Amino acid sequence: MDSIQLLLDGFATALQPQYLLFSFLGVLLGTAVGVLPGIGPAMTVALLLPLTYTLDVTSAIIMFAGIYYGGMYGGSTTSILLNTPGESASIVTALEGNRMARAGRATAALATAAIGSFIAGTLATGLLTLAAPWIADFAVTLGPADYFALMIVAFLTVGALLGSSPVRGLVSLAIGLFFGLVGTDTLTGQQRFTFAIPNLGDGIDVVIVAVGLFAVGEALYVGSRMRHGKLPVIPVTGSWRTWMSKSDWRRSWKPWLRGTAIGFPIGSIPAGGADVATFLSYATEKKLAREPYKQQFGRGAIEGVAGPEAANNAAAAGVLVPLLTLGLPTTATAAIIISAFQTYGLRPGPLLFESESALVWALIASLYVGNVVLVVLNLPLVGMWAKVLQIPRPYLYAGILVFAGLGAYAANFTVFDLGLLLVLGLIGFFMRRHGYPVSPLVVGAILGPMAEEQLRKAMAISQGDPIILVQGLTSQVIYGVMIVLLLGGLWLRRRQRRFEQVDAAAVDTTTIRAVDEELAQQLRDRD
Amino acid sequence: MTSEITTGGVAGSTPAARSRVGELIFVGVILAFSIVALIMVGAIREPMGSSNVIGARVVPYAVCALLLVTSAAAIVAVLRGDVGRPDEGEDIDAEARTSWLTVLRLSLSFASLIVVIPLAGWPAAVTVLFTGASLALGAASWWKALLLGAGLGVLTQVVFGLGLGLSLPPFGTVLPGVFGG
Repeated sequence: MDSIQLLLDGFATALQPQYLLFSFLGVLLGTAVGVLPGIGPAMTVALLLPLTYTLDVTSAIIMFAGIYYGGMYGGSTTSILLNTPGESASIVTALEGNRMARAGRATAALATAAIGSFIAGTLATGLLTLAAPWIADFAVTLGPADYFALMIVAFLTVGALLGSSPVRGLVSLAIGLFFGLVGTDTLTGQQRFTFAIPNLGDGIDVVIVAVGLFAVGEALYVGSRMRHGKLPVIPVTGSWRTWMSKSDWRRSWKPWLRGTAIGFPIGSIPAGGADVATFLSYATEKKLAREPYKQQFGRGAIEGVAGPEAANNAAAAGVLVPLLTLGLPTTATAAIIISAFQTYGLRPGPLLFESESALVWALIASLYVGNVVLVVLNLPLVGMWAKVLQIPRPYLYAGILVFAGLGAYAANFTVFDLGLLLVLGLIGFFMRRHGYPVSPLVVGAILGPMAEEQLRKAMAISQGDPIILVQGLTSQVIYGVMIVLLLGGLWLRRRQRRFEQVDAAAVDTTTIRAVDEELAQQLRDRD
Repeated sequence: MTSEITTGGVAGSTPAARSRVGELIFVGVILAFSIVALIMVGAIREPMGSSNVIGARVVPYAVCALLLVTSAAAIVAVLRGDVGRPDEGEDIDAEARTSWLTVLRLSLSFASLIVVIPLAGWPAAVTVLFTGASLALGAASWWKALLLGAGLGVLTQVVFGLGLGLSLPPFGTVLPGVFGG
């Protein structure tokens, strides 16, 4: 096969010592930042972006791939080790993982998360390798009207499904679309919403939008309602080789595979990203679990960590499919990646596979490499990550503000951007305060201008007849799929909420231990 | 109280009422802004005889209208009792009242960058921001914050300025004068 040869070439690039070093650095920094409490994958990627500004393109995207996977993984360590019951209930990994940790099985939870992430990441990257060239070939045949349809799908699903309230998601999306409009119109050269400020003539950099909303907004929001006093971090003990018992392995491997199968397809369609995938995997594991393990769900069942963690990482790879082949971001993290690519002078989309094929395959190869680095690094270093969690909060959030400032200043080296960042941060603060999800805003800001370009192209072709937008069979299929996605997604959301309400009921440590003991006893009796 | 179903939040009725007013103000501002923006679209110049069928105004009109409709829908939702649920997080105390003073002090600390970077350079600006922000967030000792800030300022200058070649100004316009350089 053609693509196998290309992939091998990609490996030849990615495995050069220099690039291996960048991959290693990327994973290390991505995990370290991702582990920090309050920092999600999108913020990790946005904050670490300036690191890659001065690198050559290949090094930059290889390092970036490491940061992406590292940041995706880092969060699970936080939710397992940080003992903040209640708050983390919305993240399914924390549901079981945190309870396992409180019952003294933190190491098993961490190990099944790390190994599951590795297996799922590798399998999903394999699926990406197979699917991407095929989809790219298909994508070349799409016209502007079809692209416009795809972007409308992304808008609506992202707005309605990222976050818990569709109306608030759509408000967020609309604000993002507005930010995308600011600047000089590419086709007519007219100033739009620049308020006669020359710095706004080039538009608002998406990286500044993301850093402002995620980093500055989060720091302001946490500052306004900070939890005082010490947070207990669960200690990690013993050698990592003995973390998972035989029964842990036996109970984990099927959830890993099922999580991959659920995560990858969900990640690759615009349906709410990793959040939906982890929830679906959790619900599946809970349903499929047999006694005596079933009763352990909600009290620290390892399947409930293994499945969702695998699904999470598989979805992370799935998100790259529309990103690389169509140039379509479906999560905030993906939107930042697209804007990063643009700063490197690349334009993700079907043509990227033809024009920059060596680069794309080096990127895909480095995803495999990054996964290996991730598992090699994370098992032995978990003790260090646990220490990172103990950074005093005032210094942590002050540091986040410093790096946010660095990221915004390094984009254009003007203090104007810092003022803009603060304004965006305040918007982010109020959005968090009132339950408006910020991710749709970021996606809207990057996707809006792209959609406008495709719309105008399509209308130019049809000479102003809007029927072209719904004329093609492909467009019709895309709009049809959108309705299915929206209805399915909203139904899932409703189920998830009901699920969480039932499971969020506080379970104290003694119950978890009691069930654990009881289970062990039953197993001994059986043997 | 007014809302029959609490959104699962831990907050009691009084904070909910307060956040309801807050959300109404927030969405109200967005709504007002969208109306202003709609009027502003009319000011975008459409060059005569441009070959494009869709000019520079069409999409702005659509986006501003979307902003108007969605924010109006959000106001209706809030009035009907569907109040937004504040974000949760590892470091957030769900029961705490909003400390506006902290938000103000953090914003001022961050805004100091705009003044200090041109005047005194990047490391000094980081020192001011870090010290101000960590004290606003309740750091125990000011000298520790100052030392950490200065260290972080110099470190980022060395790593990003010297190591990665980003052109961060090491000194501003004032500092060299002070040191006689």
